[in-house]
Amino acid sequence: MIKVENISKHYGTLQALDNISFTINEGTCFGLVGPNGAGKSTLMKILSGILLNFDGDIHVRDWQVSKDRLKIKQQIGYIPQEICLEDTLTARDNLILFGNLYGLKGKELQHRMDEVLDQIGLTDRVKDKVVTFSGGMKRRLNIGCALLHKPGIVIMDEPTVGIDPQSRNSIFSIIHQLKAEGSTIIYSSHYMEEVEQLCDSIGLIDKGQLMEFGRMEELLEKYAKPSLFIAGEGIELGMLQSFGEAEAKGNGYLLNSEEPLLTLEKLVAHCREHRLEPRRLELYHPRLEDIFFNLTGTQLRDA
Amino acid sequence: MWAIARTELKKTVQDKGLWFWTFVLPIVFIVAFVAIFSGDESTSYKEVVTQIIPGYTIMFAFFIMISMVIVFVKDRERGMVARIASTPLSIHQYFFGKWLPFMIVVLVQITVLFGFGVVVYDLPLGDPFALILLSLALAFIVTGWGMAMAVIVRTENMGIAMTQILALGGALLGGLWMPVEFMPEVVQNISKALPQYWALQGYKEIILSGGGVGDIWFHLVFLIVAGVAGGVLALVSYPRFLRQSRS
Repeated sequence: MIKVENISKHYGTLQALDNISFTINEGTCFGLVGPNGAGKSTLMKILSGILLNFDGDIHVRDWQVSKDRLKIKQQIGYIPQEICLEDTLTARDNLILFGNLYGLKGKELQHRMDEVLDQIGLTDRVKDKVVTFSGGMKRRLNIGCALLHKPGIVIMDEPTVGIDPQSRNSIFSIIHQLKAEGSTIIYSSHYMEEVEQLCDSIGLIDKGQLMEFGRMEELLEKYAKPSLFIAGEGIELGMLQSFGEAEAKGNGYLLNSEEPLLTLEKLVAHCREHRLEPRRLELYHPRLEDIFFNLTGTQLRDA
Repeated sequence: MWAIARTELKKTVQDKGLWFWTFVLPIVFIVAFVAIFSGDESTSYKEVVTQIIPGYTIMFAFFIMISMVIVFVKDRERGMVARIASTPLSIHQYFFGKWLPFMIVVLVQITVLFGFGVVVYDLPLGDPFALILLSLALAFIVTGWGMAMAVIVRTENMGIAMTQILALGGALLGGLWMPVEFMPEVVQNISKALPQYWALQGYKEIILSGGGVGDIWFHLVFLIVAGVAGGVLALVSYPRFLRQSRS
């Protein structure tokens, strides 16, 4: 279990994190979501032991970060957003470097290198210099370097930025494998669909504050009401408001309803009666983006 | 710590720019300046080679700071500093691992340039023990200051510019290009605050006057204390350096 207690961090007069507390259960995948400048990276740096000077405390299993920093670091595999590899050296050299930094040597290191190379699909490129790798291959090696010491906690900061779909799928399968092995994963991403797909619980962060924390389904239930999306000629906001709470969304309207199927039937009947022809009429599944909008009044990508 | 040192040494060996600054350019300078000044009848050949070979060796030893700045700034900009900070490696181990390969490079550089002097110009070496200690102290101060500079500067260009000011300014004022006796008194006083001056005077003491460790103890202490100051400055500046690192 990872217990974050009242974490605050200032950069001069700027308050990057303001009294953040939450708990992550062992073996689950926790998604950290928020716009640029929300404090995500600062929190990831604190969790991974890079930033040492902050208020509050973090407990990992029976250890306290203020007292047992090295023990905790040994349990963490940090995968940064930047590709941190020695470009002029081979994949093998890079794996040896990071293996050694976590105390792996000799046969044990070789065994783990073979396993990790198989896991990230780079066994046949182990002797090649990293500079010859594609962006996706570098990302996978970046992940491999953090998994050599079999960390119980894997911290991933935007691990799929700027890569092709094939490499993204490969990274997803690594994450699924880590989950199956019981690793605790802390995952930060701008891609909402990734977080929805991979994470069991999420924390929404904005302006240094934890806006909401909980299991994905609970938050969707709490904040994002089921609704209908409708667009077409003659479809107007005034008309829709007689069916429930409506608002403009994109090139159409979103109609909130506690009973979307019943409202859908009524809406279809109304359109027939008034000879209206909707171009799109569909059930709208609430997304993480909607939760963020409900909490902050802004879209994640606009924030 | 050893993992960092091994990796850094591998990268250093592959760095062609470093080979040029460290070995090729100094040899070209030594050959050119010995050729120019050995025609001067008022100065003995021994005095010429004893001024020029140690002088240019000291000056070019300071250029290792450029390589150190490039390595540290690159590590900071691609997030390697933060990545390593997330491992169980301590700050002291990190610095030691980064520092050791450059120390080795400077010691090899001094050996090659003095060796060149011995083979080509019959440069006398004097007391080998004193020579080794002084060379270690020289390597220590240039790498210590290199670490401080590398951690403090904001950009690579700033580091290169400052290294050139330190290396070339120090060479001029420290008497590496011409003996300080030929300079105004005020410059002679300034030169006594520079490591280049004490390194050169130490080499001259050993080579020209046949001095031993007892004769250069102050030179050694000056260089080691200055080197330690550089290392301490690098350690103190590390938290800011880490904050600036991408991650």
